[in-house]
Amino acid sequence: MSFFLPKLSCKKDIDDAVKSVAEKVLVLRFGRDEDSVCLQLDEILSKTAHDLSNMASIYLVDVDTAPVYTRYFDISFIPSTVFFFNGQHMKVDYGSPDHTKFVGSFKTKQDFMDLIEVIYRGAMRGKLIVRSPIDPRNIPKYDLLYHDI
Amino acid sequence: MGAFYCSICRKTDFSGKGHIYGKSHQSKLKVIIVKFMEKIKEAKRTIKNPQVEKYSPDHDEKFWCYCCALEVQKHVTDSNISVLYGGLLEHMSTPEHRTNTHKFWWDNKADPKLRDKFIITEEATERFKSEVSKALEQFEEKEDVFIKQQAAVIRSQEQHRLEVLQSVSEPDPELEQPAEVDQHSSKHTARSSHSHSYEMEPQPGPSHEDFTSHGQWNEPGLGLTFIGYQDTSSSGNVHTGAVPPWLLEEPDEASGSGQQEMGPSLQEFLKHKEQEKLKKLPPNRVGANFDHSSHTDANWLPSFGRVWNSGRRWQSRHQFREEEAKTRGKRKWEGDGKATKKQKDLSNGEL
Repeated sequence: MSFFLPKLSCKKDIDDAVKSVAEKVLVLRFGRDEDSVCLQLDEILSKTAHDLSNMASIYLVDVDTAPVYTRYFDISFIPSTVFFFNGQHMKVDYGSPDHTKFVGSFKTKQDFMDLIEVIYRGAMRGKLIVRSPIDPRNIPKYDLLYHDI
Repeated sequence: MGAFYCSICRKTDFSGKGHIYGKSHQSKLKVIIVKFMEKIKEAKRTIKNPQVEKYSPDHDEKFWCYCCALEVQKHVTDSNISVLYGGLLEHMSTPEHRTNTHKFWWDNKADPKLRDKFIITEEATERFKSEVSKALEQFEEKEDVFIKQQAAVIRSQEQHRLEVLQSVSEPDPELEQPAEVDQHSSKHTARSSHSHSYEMEPQPGPSHEDFTSHGQWNEPGLGLTFIGYQDTSSSGNVHTGAVPPWLLEEPDEASGSGQQEMGPSLQEFLKHKEQEKLKKLPPNRVGANFDHSSHTDANWLPSFGRVWNSGRRWQSRHQFREEEAKTRGKRKWEGDGKATKKQKDLSNGEL
């Protein structure tokens, strides 16, 4: 459930989170608490949060509260998860069209943990984009809407 | 025979008494005798003319007598004055030394002609002793004379200093004269001559010359500036065992700063620990030089590579800002001036 994970409700909170999390992956889940897929994702996130506490900090953001970031991060589907490291955005190639965020929920907790580990290792080595270890069959499919059409 | 240590060769020998007739032993023996002979010759020279001198540390020197196998004092001294070679001569005249010398000669088969040189007869010692007493008296007389000379020098210097002081304080002769009524007549005349020299030019020649020559005579001996008698009866000095100034509490230090603890505070220490941890991380990691505590304004956006962007990440931020400006401009034309609420409406529409 999402009440284990901290929530950010305004742009300033998100800014603070991005700036303050040091030497750890920052996971921002953009979505709504009531949405079913979001609930699934939130459960995975909260169950793995403790085990990943040395590598990652996880926050939940309601898309309605910070529209600037909703636009800035081009969030069209929820839930979308964005990863940062030391204030820098980390891109991940999941095999899906959008590398800037992870759209949808994970199939298993292990998938999420593997992903976090890969992002962490890549960041430690100076990589801004890494390749996801998750089996492409487990990645949710979606159609990317073309912008300005 | 058995093991036998030869002190001359400084070797343990197993060949018995035959060793002594050997070449090496005899050559070493000769060397030793020559060296010893030198010392004794020096000493014998002083029998007729003993030298008495003021004590110096090398008068405690000892010498090794080969015959007796002992260390003996070379000079006789009582920490003030010493008689050179007194010890040596005294030792040489003792009967024990005589017997030892004979034994030494017999054991080592040295040249008997030289043996007598190593002993000093009783007559010689008697003569030596009388000479020594005479020399001592002479020495003491010389010392006395020297001490008296030193005293005279010191007295004259003291007097000269006093004269200098008086001549320096000449400008107020009215103030001085009543105070110094009971001075020597010589000082009085010296002062008055100086005062004359200050007032009238023609006088200066002789009095000034006296003054300077006196000064010059002082300069090579004690060219020191007198800075005054240091009165420490109130606070004590190093001899009375007073507390040294650098250990005294400074009045401004103690009251002003209060308890100053040395070393870093707890905060600084924790910070330092964090920094140590950071140093261990790889230096080329993402955002290694990211300043986590920098203050950013409300319009700050993190570096994000947007979806519909190709090119560098800052361009996406730039593009976003442009888009925002465009859309905000549109909104402003349409409605009132509420910026944030409008953005919310927009996002709702999009999703």
